[in-house]
Parts: sequence; structure tokens; C-alpha cells
Amino acid sequence: MIGSVAETIEAIERRIDELRVAVREAVLAGDTALATAQRAQLSRAEQAWEAELAAIAEPPRSAQLTQRARPAQFIEPAQPAQLTLPAQPAAPAGSLLPLREQVYEALSLLQVPAAPKLIATVHEAFFGSTFPTTRVTSLKRDEERSFRAAPFARPYYICAALSADYLAPSRGLLAVSTWPLERRMIGSLSPRVDFLTAAIRVAEAIERIPEPPSAARQLLQRFAQSIPGAMPGASTAPATVKPATVKDAAAAELTVHTDADDRARREAAERARQLKQPEQLFGTASFREIAREAGE
Amino acid sequence: MTVGEPPSQPPGQPPGQPPRDPVEARLDFLRGRAMPVNHDARTISALAANPGCPRRALMDAAGVHKHEIAKHVGLPAPYGLSPFARSRGNAFEALVKDDSASLLLALLRQHIGLDIASAHYEDLSRVGAGESTNLRHARTRQKLLGADPGTHTMFDHPLLRLKVGGRYAFLEPDLLALHHSGRWYVVEVKSFAIIDGQADPEKVAAAAIQSAVYVHALRDLLGTDPSTGANLVHHETILVAPENFANKPAAAKLDVRKQLGVIRRQLNRIASVESLLDAYPEDLTFDLDPDPDGRPRRAPGELRGAVETVPANYAPECLATCELCFVCRDEARAHGDTGALGKKVREDLGGIETVPQALGLARGALAPAPEREEIAVKLRHAAQVWEQLTGQAV
Repeated sequence: MIGSVAETIEAIERRIDELRVAVREAVLAGDTALATAQRAQLSRAEQAWEAELAAIAEPPRSAQLTQRARPAQFIEPAQPAQLTLPAQPAAPAGSLLPLREQVYEALSLLQVPAAPKLIATVHEAFFGSTFPTTRVTSLKRDEERSFRAAPFARPYYICAALSADYLAPSRGLLAVSTWPLERRMIGSLSPRVDFLTAAIRVAEAIERIPEPPSAARQLLQRFAQSIPGAMPGASTAPATVKPATVKDAAAAELTVHTDADDRARREAAERARQLKQPEQLFGTASFREIAREAGE
Repeated sequence: MTVGEPPSQPPGQPPGQPPRDPVEARLDFLRGRAMPVNHDARTISALAANPGCPRRALMDAAGVHKHEIAKHVGLPAPYGLSPFARSRGNAFEALVKDDSASLLLALLRQHIGLDIASAHYEDLSRVGAGESTNLRHARTRQKLLGADPGTHTMFDHPLLRLKVGGRYAFLEPDLLALHHSGRWYVVEVKSFAIIDGQADPEKVAAAAIQSAVYVHALRDLLGTDPSTGANLVHHETILVAPENFANKPAAAKLDVRKQLGVIRRQLNRIASVESLLDAYPEDLTFDLDPDPDGRPRRAPGELRGAVETVPANYAPECLATCELCFVCRDEARAHGDTGALGKKVREDLGGIETVPQALGLARGALAPAPEREEIAVKLRHAAQVWEQLTGQAV
């Protein structure tokens, strides 16, 4: 982990140095437009540097602090007013946490493997900020790289859920490495069981908030739509969906599936325990990769 | 009858190999040096859209690149799915299948009466992390043949196989559902709207025929119930589409028995293409005579002559389903075919094949054959009405 992260940080530092030179030259040449553009790039590079640093310095609080303590020393005295920091496009609505922690927060609420889209919606509903799901794809890859470089250097990793048959990463699902292995196994009933469990967790989270935001209510309604007995009559307005009803309906259906699903997951987890650590977390390689390795 | 130069060496027949099946050899010769086109659900459905067209039947059996031919004779069709329609379709399918197809499960429970315990979901769009077609098909076969209604319900993106004209076409239905009674349902997700219980009839017809192709392929794989002899795959398929003006999915059942009949007949026709081939000269070929860079060298006029050797059965509906449509339309218009005005006009004019013939009969300039007596009277009457109304002769 340290190797690869340190390398990216170094690359960003080199880029920052280059950009500073470029800004100075543009200012000296009197080209304000170019200078502004270079400054914007510089400030983005600095933000990226902060984010990488936060990723290394693990505790979440320090990540916030380093983000807040933004570098006044980088502001050049010549034109301080022009240095308006562009809003960070990747993390709107003011989330200061790195992506992996946002994903962790949402997954910790759900307590089941989930797809990036659901994770982003849950984070928006309960933590007030969302992120583009496209960024999550690279997150899993980064986590795997980091784990392979220095196993268990972080308290948790965002990892894969594994399909029960081939123990390959289940398409699009993310999980947390500290969960029991059984929970990360996906048998044929597990998607439904996880969906119902997630519905219960979301309903419980809504019950804890005195005034749930509309995004949270909409999320609950989305769950309620496909659980028998969870919708209040013919009305489909999100405000009329009761968390308690959703919870009861989901729990009722869950009792039908739990036994069969538990068996399948336990059996798969038994097999998965024989895998090496990285494969346990991120799944076995694809047939193509195996074939390629065999060919070499 | 214009016939093209035969390719110097027939494709797919390396020297020293034993002689091949004569029908296949002729089909290869018809296609020329190009690789055969792979069929998919869309092209197989299109086969059924105009079953009376010998040109299409022959070209599809030979796996001819119709688009390349249309392009080379100067009448390419703007054929294919628009990228916008494609992304809209994908987005809607993703919505329906989000959260492990939970919305779809709710619809299936409602429409085919799945019991609560039937909530299994298997993703067959990948095998492990691999995506090879043959691997996926093998996996689908294994899963579907061994499926038990107690432990299997939904199969997402299975990969079926169907033999078309001697070659296998791979087909990927959106979803297959296994009812707890042991019957299978084909589920097709489409992004056109069902408004107030009604949808665009043409689009529904296209969806029905596409679903019928899947039903046919699935029956090919699963066969019938050994104890009762009943088909394991239901002739009713489930169409899932957005309801009204929202993006909320709704489901409807489609009875595809009629479409199944058409597809079966058309596939048999391709299989028995021999009789169709007999009607044409042996040296007929649609070869483009490509140079080493793949640029066609064959004279467009000559190629067009070869194409026109095989009669087409053009109707305006072809514009939606066939890459050769502009070629056939051009030809139909030049000949004054009544079919170019639409199937309805052709049927109304029962037996009269060209517009000049119809006009001749209406003007009384042509003496009708006995079997056209009745339609000739109708045409003359129509011409009189026209003359009285407009003051102009037909």
C-alpha cells in the first residue's frame, strides 16, 4: 500500500511544483487568463494531494482536519483575491470525507453487500451528500491494490461480495472486509435476503430521525414497492409509507428465505475460507486471467 | 438475368479438404469471400417480419452482409438502433433490475403468481468473472437443464443458442422466470411506454416476435415435460415496459403462439433452402470482390443485377427490419409494384401486381382477365367517382 500511495503522492507533488512555476511565469508575463487557469489546476492538484494524504493517515477525523486546514501558505501575495478555490466537483454537498469512508458509512448502515447506486442513495438520504457511482469502480481496485501491497494495514477495506458458486466477485456489489465471511457470500436467495435486510435497516434508520429528509422517505418507498404488504393501500406518496409497516413486511418475508439462504452462505463461506486472504476479500480471478497465466 | 463473376476460390474450402455439403457450398458461394453474418434475436425476428420474401430468406440463409451490398449499390439504409434508444433501453432495464430485480420480482408475483418462497436470482451474464460466449452458453445450459423450481426462480441474461441456416446464433433474453409449477416464462424488458393500457402496436408486435424467438430457442433446449408431454416453456411471455408517463415499470402478458408458428416455418424454410436455391443459376453470387484492403471491386450495376435475380417482396414495413430496404423500394417503385404502396393497398387490389395495370383497368384501357373482372368493376367505379369529384380523368 505504502509503496503505491507514496508514489502517487510524489507524482502529485511534482505536478504541484511544476504548476507553481507555471503560475509564476504566467503572472510575470502579465497573462492573467493563463495564470487563473494554472491556479485552478494548482488548487485541484493540492486538493488531490490532501485527499491522498488523508487516505494514508487513516483516522477519519484527521482526514477532515487536514482538509479543513487548507493551505494559506499556497496563496500568493501578489493576487490573493483571484485565488477562488473551485468547488470540488467530485464531492458535492459538502462531504469532507474521502470516498471510501462515505461508502463505509453507507454500508455500515445497510449491513449487507450493496451496489454503488444504492450506496450513493443511502449516503445522500442519511448523510446528506452523494457521489458519482462511477468513482466507486476504481475504489474497489485501489482497495485491492492497497491490500495486496500491505495486508491489513488499514482497519477495514471496501471489498467484494463473492458469488457462492465460483467465489468470484459478485457483479457490482461492495462489502466491508470486517464483516463475517458468510455475509459476503451471494447465493441465489441472498440478493432477496439482502434487499429485505437493507429495507429493515433503512426503516430503522428513519425511525431514529425525528424529521427524516425526503430522500430517505423516497428510498424507503422504493423498498416498500417491491415488498408484499409494505405499501399502505393504494397510495404511493412517499410520506404515507410507514417505516414500521415496511419493517414488519420485510421481516415476514425474510422468515421464509432465511434458513435456505443461511445454509447456502455457510457452505460457500466454508469453501471461501480455503482461499488466500486477498481472494477471500476480492474474489478469485476470472477464467480469462487464469487461462492467460496458464499460457504464459 | 445478370450473374456475377464467381470468386476465384470459394471461401471456407481450403484445398485438400473433402468436398462439403453441396447446399452449404452453394450458400458459401452466394456469400462470396465475406465472413457469414451472425444472427441474433433481432435478425431472426426480422426473418419472420416478411416471411414471403425469397430475397431475404436466401440472403439470410447464406449469411450475406446485406448492409454492405446495399452500400455498394449506392442505396444504404440508415438501419440499426439509435444510440439514444439503446441507452434509454439500457437505463430502463437497469432500473427494473436494480436491487437484484426486486421490482421485476414484484411484477412477476403479481402476473404469474409466483409464491413468496420463489425469490431466487441468478446472474448468468458472467461466469465467474469471465464473459466468453461459449462459456456463458455452457453455463446457461447447465443451469437451465438442472433447474429445480424449489431452488431457482429468475435467471438474468442467460445465453441461449439456436441453429439458423446451419450456424448457431446466440440469443440473450433479458430474463427467464421459472414458476414453482415448473413452467418457464420469457421476460422481455422494453423501454416504450404502455399508456393507459395501450402501447404502439408495431413495437408490441416486434417485442412479441422477439420473445417468440426466445421461447423457440428455450423450447429447443428444454423440450417438453416427459410425464405430460406439455411444453415446459409457456407460450405467454411477459413484457415489462414503463407505465404511462413515469418510469415505473408495468408488465403485460403476450401470447406468442402465432409468432412461434411463423418463426418455426421460417427457420424450416432456411433449413430447407435447397429448394429455394434450385430456382437460381448456380453461378449466382453476391460476392463484393474485395481488394486486399477490403474495398469492394465488383461493378455496382452487376451486383445489383445479381440481387435482382432473386425476387423481393417489398412492403413499407421492410424499412424497419431489413438493410436492403432502399434497394427493394427503389426496384418496387421503378416497376410500379402495388406492394410499394403498402400491404393494405396490395390486398385491396387483390392480384393486380403493378400500378400501371391498375390504372389501365380503371381507365378501361385493359381488358380484364376473367379472375380480375370483379376488381376491374370496382376500379372503374372508383375512377368515375374520382372524375366526378375532381373533374379530371384518372
